[in-house]
Amino acid sequence: MKAIFLSYNQAYHEEILEIMSLCGLRGYTYWDVTMGRGSFKGEPHLGDHAWPTLNSTLLIMAEDRLVPEFKRRLKELDSKSEAMGMRYFTWTIDEE
Amino acid sequence: MSIYQSAVKKPITTALIFVAVAIFGIFSLTRIPIDLLPEIDTNAIMVMTAYEGASASDIENNVTKPLENSLNSVSDLKHISSQSKENISIITLEFEYGIDIDVATNDVRDKLDMVKQALPDEVNNPIIFKFGTDDIPIMMLSVTAAESTSGLYKILDDQVANPLARISGVGAVSVTGSAKREIKVYCDPHKLEAYNLSIEAISGIIGAENRNIPGGNIDVGSHTYALRVQKEFEDASELLNLVVGNYNGQVVYLRDVARVEDGLEERSQETYSNLKKGGMIVIQKQAGANSVAISKKVMEKLPEIQKTLPSDIELGIIVDTSDNIKRTINSLLETIIITFLLVIFVVYSFLGRWRATFIIMLTIPISLLGSLIYLFATGSTLNIISLSSLSIAIGMVVDDAIVVLENITTHIERGSRPKQAAVHATNEVAISVIASTLTMLAVFMPMTMVTGLSGVMFRQLGWIVSIIMIVSTVGALTLIPMLCSQLLKLNPYVGRFQRMFFTPINKALDALDRGYGKLLGWAVHHRKTVIMLGLGVFFGTILLLGPMMKTEFFPAQDNGRISIKIQLPIGTRQEITRDLALELAEKFMKEYPEITRCNVTEGMADSDNVFASMQGNGTHIISFNIALTDMEERERGLLQICDLMRKDLANYPIIRTFQVNAGGQQGGMSGQASAEIEIYGYDFAATDKVAQEITNRLKSYEKIDEVITSREEYSPEYQVDFDREKLSINGLNTSTAAQYLRNRINGALASYYREDGEEYDITVRYAPEYRQSIEDIENILIYNPQGQGIRIRDLGEVKEILTPPTIERKDRERMVKVTAVCPEGMALSDMVAIVNKEMEAIDIPTGITWDLGGTYEEQQESFADLITLMVLVVILVFIVMAAQFESLTYPFVIMFSIPFAIVGVLMGLVFTGTPMGIMAMVGLLMLLGIVVKNGIVLIDYTILCRERGMGILQSVVTAGKSRLRPVLMTTLTTVLGMVPMAIGTGTGSEMWRSMGMTVAWGLSVSTLITLVIVPTLYAVFAGFGIKKNRKKLAKLYAAK
Repeated sequence: MKAIFLSYNQAYHEEILEIMSLCGLRGYTYWDVTMGRGSFKGEPHLGDHAWPTLNSTLLIMAEDRLVPEFKRRLKELDSKSEAMGMRYFTWTIDEE
Repeated sequence: MSIYQSAVKKPITTALIFVAVAIFGIFSLTRIPIDLLPEIDTNAIMVMTAYEGASASDIENNVTKPLENSLNSVSDLKHISSQSKENISIITLEFEYGIDIDVATNDVRDKLDMVKQALPDEVNNPIIFKFGTDDIPIMMLSVTAAESTSGLYKILDDQVANPLARISGVGAVSVTGSAKREIKVYCDPHKLEAYNLSIEAISGIIGAENRNIPGGNIDVGSHTYALRVQKEFEDASELLNLVVGNYNGQVVYLRDVARVEDGLEERSQETYSNLKKGGMIVIQKQAGANSVAISKKVMEKLPEIQKTLPSDIELGIIVDTSDNIKRTINSLLETIIITFLLVIFVVYSFLGRWRATFIIMLTIPISLLGSLIYLFATGSTLNIISLSSLSIAIGMVVDDAIVVLENITTHIERGSRPKQAAVHATNEVAISVIASTLTMLAVFMPMTMVTGLSGVMFRQLGWIVSIIMIVSTVGALTLIPMLCSQLLKLNPYVGRFQRMFFTPINKALDALDRGYGKLLGWAVHHRKTVIMLGLGVFFGTILLLGPMMKTEFFPAQDNGRISIKIQLPIGTRQEITRDLALELAEKFMKEYPEITRCNVTEGMADSDNVFASMQGNGTHIISFNIALTDMEERERGLLQICDLMRKDLANYPIIRTFQVNAGGQQGGMSGQASAEIEIYGYDFAATDKVAQEITNRLKSYEKIDEVITSREEYSPEYQVDFDREKLSINGLNTSTAAQYLRNRINGALASYYREDGEEYDITVRYAPEYRQSIEDIENILIYNPQGQGIRIRDLGEVKEILTPPTIERKDRERMVKVTAVCPEGMALSDMVAIVNKEMEAIDIPTGITWDLGGTYEEQQESFADLITLMVLVVILVFIVMAAQFESLTYPFVIMFSIPFAIVGVLMGLVFTGTPMGIMAMVGLLMLLGIVVKNGIVLIDYTILCRERGMGILQSVVTAGKSRLRPVLMTTLTTVLGMVPMAIGTGTGSEMWRSMGMTVAWGLSVSTLITLVIVPTLYAVFAGFGIKKNRKKLAKLYAAK
């Protein structure tokens, strides 16, 4: 099992849900409004006067076999418009 | 879920809500009546009190003064003025605009009840009249008749006036210029004397003979019959065979002592239409009725009426006020359409996308239609004010939509899907869109609260623009994101034409961005120079152009109507007056081919003619009603023609005074401006002297032709001065003697002659040839109770004397008013300057004071109201901005665009020679809100840049470069939205031209200067802030 932490520009939300269902991922935990700033480039998403955009965050626990396809599709989406902002991280977890 | 999110998620609901608004708007549009101006409630009450037999000064002392003293304490009273003339006192109470006139009327009635005891016993009860703009006639019809002149009055009264009066909304219909039929019994005094008869006896006999009397019922056999004496005259000639007495056993018939004429009454008004004799029908509307609707109904009715008339009678239209209203409204509608197209063009050139342009374009009709619902709901009309508000608003409603759409586009270009982009991009700008709408509301909402005349006028403007702004903001936050999410695409297809058209525009705009960036870069490094330059421009303009600015109240409107009132010396015979009237009419028609209808009336009117008694009439008065061709069709303007006519009239020495009223009425909202000099003082001779002196001085100016003094001259009259002793010796008293005199000259009403259900007076009097000289009067026989005849010359003497004129008072002091009409090209302020100069030069005796009233007074009051409003608006705008930026410094910096708006307005008015009137003031007022919007956009983005970590100077330049296009775009839409108003030439355009000009100039100049000055000032103040912080920190560290 893998845990995927996915933080993205709010505007991506529906597209990401679509990708998830395409990849057979069903379960997730969703934070509607999150704020953050990337480590390398891109604009901060702080929802204030200077940086009005906001992020949403998903935490997904997925079967190992489903993860590569999901990552591929996310990358594809991100590369279409990098300025929007999306970051994801995965790590291995134990299933009880 | 936020409002825009729901809107995007539910496109059908959103779309249909706005469709519903549009449908309601269109429905309202079809139902809203049209009028020239918003309804202005009357603000005057007239109190008329008759006191038979009292002279002007008696009336003044015994009636007018006590009434004035008591009425003076009615609340909200502005001025109290009065006229005391023989037999009657007329007091006019002028109230502040906008008060409830019904309440005021009740107050007046209460006061009158209280003071009644103090008045002399014979004084009649005071009568209260309310009058306002509604009492102005809305239509005048001319009637020409070739043969039917003798029966004309009856025909017109029955077949024209009556059906017209039945139309709902029509108030009074008066027939003027055609005399009423009258059966005249003209007696020969010598024969009367010979047969020992008197006028009274004959009149009594006629009255007694002309009777139908029912005699009860009688039963004959099985029937009941009515019994009746039927001796009413069936023909006027029957009168001749009346037995009026016996003399030496012989029967004396009426034909032996008199002749009977079945003709027209002796004294009457005569009307000539285009030199043809005829009549005039004046239609007045009821209070609150709609002139356009009424005149439409009248016009529909006229062909029907024409059919019922004898074939030689022709009806024509002299004045139809609705015509002018319709043309004015149409030219405003044209202006609105042009504005709409211009705004679309600007938006398209900047955005370069059809779909985006379409989305923005949609907000215009929806917001405008939304405001129409308001008009319909409040029962208002489509008028100059409401329509020009719509025109003003067009350029501004797109601003919010543009901001939202621009941000959505940016998001889409960054890769967002349209649906999400619409929600998030709207979310980002929602606050600043609402804030900029709030600044506009801060300007327009207070307008709905102004008092006075300007309040009445501009309440609609305030409401309409506020509503439009609110609807457009709601639209920008719901409809626009929804439409964007449905219609916008990433990288839309760009056609060849578009590429050809937009490549140069984009290049030019890019170059402009770069150039502006460089300019800003220079400016922020040379802050002192820039600020000094700005101050120099401001004070330079104020000092140089300020004194050259002229002021006025309302611009005179060219509605193609002229009314002229000419007074010959009092007592001029009607024949002489008629000759002059026709001569003038002919001259005018020849000299001014622009005249389509020239209607002239002279003579004394019947006492029941409402219109004539309001206008004043007499054998020495000529009044013209002239209609010109449409303004677009002639080269000479209305004022020019009026000035020429004044020059013509000034050449006739016989004319005592004349008044040429451009637009058909004096002063007020759309007439020609005039200065009214009110000279107060008790002594007639002294005030007359001052009035005469100022009149002469003013007339010595080349351009000034029309100066009118309100006080009439002393009028000559014959007085029969009975000797009471002689009267009493003969068993008579003054009133019986006077009654005898009246019956012989004016005539005694003997009875009514009935024909076809109509009644005509039968009057008995001396034949005209026996009442032509003083001797004729002296020879009149008066019979005493013993039946002896005594001649008037034995009872008193007939003297020629002069009666003093009407005594006019204002605010309880005697006053004479001198009115000087401003000729074309002279503003009210010029005239006031001349009057002040000349009045100063006159040596005014002590006890006499003077003041400027009328239009000037109203102008000063309205200006004061509007300036108070401006201060209020500036404070409110500051508060809104301070709240948005949560700072006191930034709004202060932005406020610097206001002085430069004033600079622009001054330039515009002086360069084009337009005087500053109420409309221009309102333009200036609107500018307060409009100009700061640019500042807000610039400063907002600069602050953003700083928050994103840029330095002050870099932020200023970056923000400037990035915001130049939106600033230019919104400014251009607003300025171009005003241009059609500013240069309009259609009917009525004089009214709104100065407003359009003010906004266009003020906004253009202010924007150009603001674009440099505001960022520079920002740099200065932000620098102060940083230095202050550093000092604080330094202190803190030093302390440590």
